[in-house]
Amino acid sequence: MPTPPDPRPSVDPRGPRFAAWLTSAVLVVVLATGWWPLLAAQAVVFALGGFAGLRYSPYAALYRVFVAPRLKPTDEREDAAPVRFAQSVGFGFAVVGVLGYALGITPLGIVATAFALVAALLNAAFGFCLGCEAYLLINRLSIKQRKVGTAR
Amino acid sequence: MTGLYVALGTVAVAMVFGLLVRTLGGRARPSTAGAVPDELRAALDPGAAVTLVQLSTEFCGTCKQTRVLLAEIAHGTAGLAHAEVDLTEQPELAKRLAVLRTPTTIAVDASGSELLRVGGIPKREELLTSLRPHLPA
Repeated sequence: MPTPPDPRPSVDPRGPRFAAWLTSAVLVVVLATGWWPLLAAQAVVFALGGFAGLRYSPYAALYRVFVAPRLKPTDEREDAAPVRFAQSVGFGFAVVGVLGYALGITPLGIVATAFALVAALLNAAFGFCLGCEAYLLINRLSIKQRKVGTAR
Repeated sequence: MTGLYVALGTVAVAMVFGLLVRTLGGRARPSTAGAVPDELRAALDPGAAVTLVQLSTEFCGTCKQTRVLLAEIAHGTAGLAHAEVDLTEQPELAKRLAVLRTPTTIAVDASGSELLRVGGIPKREELLTSLRPHLPA
């Protein structure tokens, strides 16, 4: 039975999984070396995927060029919106991490990077998208912040 | 050097967390929350003894899988229905329901009382076993 075409943008689910492994590797190197320019580069990757669109993420380009041709084609699709949302959450943590390292507040840099690494690893190893599952929680926290901002 | 230890520790924490999510997620937990808010009551199937109300958001990764599974279970079980409520634009309702993750499925009986909750993709057999006492024989 043919499934009706889904109007929402979707992706090959193996792409984000590959991107999550790369992200995890990058974040481990950042933590081990404390070399924050690499974290800044990762922040740019998060921003491209989260705000411009998944196809603009350099990791997605690597997947398309080097990985996808070696795999069997798949009909399996995953909604793009949750993945993009998770990338933008990653961007938030990466920016805090860069600020921490660059301003000499190293513990802040380490903690923010570690949080991003947990999320990336859960996605890579377990296919569990922490940012997606916790959308309501993240939304609730950000709404609180907005209220605080307007009250001042 | 601290960074390296933190990196290794973080990897370990992520693995433990992932395994916990995998084993504990999808389990049916009995609920004592009582009557559900009117927004959920409106979604109930009037002809069903129990409605599985799936709470979703636009940014939910596993809601699609859950939707397929619950629709199938409801279709094959007498007295059981499936409904979906999108909380993306209803953060206030999410707060009242104390729901932090999606998908969360709430089983509600015909009188509007909450029976149980499942966070994540439900485990089919376990869910059916927990619902059995509330369904027509």
